[in-house]
Amino acid sequence: MRRFLSALWFAIKSSLQNFRRNLGVSLAGVCTMGLILVLIGALSLGTHLLTNVLRDQESRASKLKIYIQDGISLADIANFQHQLKTDPRVLAVSFENKDQAFQEAASKGTDIATAVTALGSNPLPASLNVDVKQLRYLVQLDSVARSSPIVDSTQPTDYNPDVTPKIQAAINIIEGVVGFVSLMLLVVSLVIIMNTIRTAVYARRTEIEIMKLVGATDWFVRWPFLLEGIFGGILGAVLAGVVVLGIYKLVVSLTAGALFSIPFDGLFTIVVIAGLFVGGAVIGAIGSYLGVRRFLAA
Amino acid sequence: MTVALAQRPALANDPALRPVISFHGVGKTYGSGTVALSDIDLAIYQRDFVFLVGASGAGKSTLVRLLIRDEPASSGRIFVDGQEVTRMPRRRLPKLRRKFGIVFQDYKLLPTQTVGQNVAFALQVTRPGQRHMREKVEETLWIVGLEDKINKFPDELSGGEQQRVAIARALVTRPRIFLADEPTGNLDPDTSWGIVQLLLQINHRGTTVLMATHNREVVDLVRRRVIAIDGGRVIRDEQEGKYLREGEATI
Repeated sequence: MRRFLSALWFAIKSSLQNFRRNLGVSLAGVCTMGLILVLIGALSLGTHLLTNVLRDQESRASKLKIYIQDGISLADIANFQHQLKTDPRVLAVSFENKDQAFQEAASKGTDIATAVTALGSNPLPASLNVDVKQLRYLVQLDSVARSSPIVDSTQPTDYNPDVTPKIQAAINIIEGVVGFVSLMLLVVSLVIIMNTIRTAVYARRTEIEIMKLVGATDWFVRWPFLLEGIFGGILGAVLAGVVVLGIYKLVVSLTAGALFSIPFDGLFTIVVIAGLFVGGAVIGAIGSYLGVRRFLAA
Repeated sequence: MTVALAQRPALANDPALRPVISFHGVGKTYGSGTVALSDIDLAIYQRDFVFLVGASGAGKSTLVRLLIRDEPASSGRIFVDGQEVTRMPRRRLPKLRRKFGIVFQDYKLLPTQTVGQNVAFALQVTRPGQRHMREKVEETLWIVGLEDKINKFPDELSGGEQQRVAIARALVTRPRIFLADEPTGNLDPDTSWGIVQLLLQINHRGTTVLMATHNREVVDLVRRRVIAIDGGRVIRDEQEGKYLREGEATI
């Protein structure tokens, strides 16, 4: 235990000494690493929020309005409503009578009152508003509705059939691009840490040579550099965490009250920041391991 | 050419005695095709003091590097303390190297560390957490005559003093074998003589010493075992030898 603690202390002391001695290179590495982590963090957070917005749009789009002919009895409407409710593709069905349709149209600012006066009666049909479980069921349920005798044959249904593939394609593209860019950024940060450690190894080549000559194990030589890499990675993550959080809060406050307002997702923010810390430490460790490996093998 | 190995009459008959270091048909060829060593057979015993002599490029340093497996041999077998170095797995090399104390012509001291820290470094690396580290460092510095320089930095010392610090660092771990690769190469004759006397003193305490050198004066003055290498081959191995054989102009 005493040997282990002493070796650990030696490694910590050496890594801090080395960080200080190569302060310029070390800080440049930390800042670059921090910037890359900012990009990765912002991309992750941005993708998550954008996906949420799109999913919200998707849920709003997954509605089918089935117009009912005038003069159909409430019993027939209730039967059809029951048929739809028991369909496994359907989430919910609500009935909207002619008066409610009038109110709805009036609340959207439509000049419906003038039309009613001119026509002498309410021209808006009653409807069944169907929430479907998945957007791809819209087309299928539309056919079901059109085959029903109680449905208005002049304008049977209302929905946007094109929105589904568009939203899904947008989500797929965004996730794919962000995943690829993040991977590239991770590789870049790995190379940066590797080169920073190589510079550190070069600066301490005599020390390492002596260590090897007197019989130090590879891990004894490696540990100070691994700690230095992990230390640099975590410092970069602190930097990135502060910036990402700041940007996120700014975006939340700027979009508050707007049409597509972005809410503050505390849990996901914690996950992203924790991911930056773990990612920074792991990249730092792997970069250091690779940076020192060639020298140890020599 | 077959070279008779130097015998130690008093000890050679002891069946229990095994060489501390032995080379059996060892060769080293570099990737470029350059043959550095060829068919080396050697046996070095406990308490031996051996001069390894030869011109620059003869293969002295390569032999030292093969011994500590800083480089692998291309052929043959090398044994240290009965363990085969040539087939030793990499993970066991640190343990092998702890049997050696090694000094070089260029001292290899850490310029940002004091004399005491340089010497303690070997202990920190090989025996972290060892008790009485400072006492061991002070004692070793006393052996090399630098007990009053413990807080000095290497650049505040002369070349001879720096080499003594390197010797103290090699000695502080109490190695079984002391390897010195051209330790007097950068020193004037008087200082060189002081270093050699120190190595003789270390040998007198029971440590095997192998010193690679082309310092003719020192070898001729000390008159210990001499192994001469030329063109990567052992051309002479004799007890109480001289740098050159009688009548030779060069090795």
